[in-house]
Amino acid sequence: MFDEQELLAALRRHDSDAFTILFETYSDKIYRLAVGLLENELEAEGIVQETFLRFFERIDQFEGRSKVSTWLYRVAYNASMDYLRRDKPHLSIELADEDDALPMPAIFSDWSQWPEGLLSDAEVTAELDKAIAALPEKYRAIFLLREIEGLSTRETAHVTEISISAVKVRLHRARLILRERLAESFSARIGDYAGHG
Amino acid sequence: MKCEELLQYLSDYIDQELDEELAAEAQEHLATCHNCRVLLDTTQQTIFLFREQGKRTIPAERRQRLFGQLQAAFLSEKDEG
Repeated sequence: MFDEQELLAALRRHDSDAFTILFETYSDKIYRLAVGLLENELEAEGIVQETFLRFFERIDQFEGRSKVSTWLYRVAYNASMDYLRRDKPHLSIELADEDDALPMPAIFSDWSQWPEGLLSDAEVTAELDKAIAALPEKYRAIFLLREIEGLSTRETAHVTEISISAVKVRLHRARLILRERLAESFSARIGDYAGHG
Repeated sequence: MKCEELLQYLSDYIDQELDEELAAEAQEHLATCHNCRVLLDTTQQTIFLFREQGKRTIPAERRQRLFGQLQAAFLSEKDEG
């Protein structure tokens, strides 16, 4: 672990080792967020580049009121949203949460208790990828930040510039939608398995 | 607590953000309601699966290229500085 203030001081001196620490610590995190939002590895790489370059431009003004990670996530998130808006002017991220009904669960098969190995890792991965890709952007962003990147509710609110209560509402909806999608797809796969049983 | 209320509070329950009284009511409901118990277990499993699967990294070749490009940009600012 490193001290963030010491790292910033070293970065301001353009210390090469400090750059390596910065890159090794944060590049994958930014990449994961961007690829999750954009579903495009090449574009996600562009977001990583843009995020780090912006950080270099502002390093002397960075006061350290927020963590370096929060700042980087925020830049990456905004850059990703700008990219998405170019293709989809009416992004779901702009829509008010009050317009959405709470997703009602309909499938109650308990796939969490199924024996391990019933589905291969590849099958599970495929279903997870499909489920998250189908999630509206405004829920996907919050889910990625909270669950994959492990940001707190407060940090997520800071990155996305929405309220803490909005973060909680969106996370809750994301979880329910994903759960339902997985319940549906896992049940269908196991139905096939049982049919051959 | 009814099922509709448990549904509303589910994330707060998972994140241990319910006050004591509501948490106790939720636990009592979960002890007797099969569907809500399944809802809780499968939601927690959903979160677990995504957390486990989500740790992707930049592919090695791209990573090397990106590192080189950004390092060059970082050090060139030093020379201009």
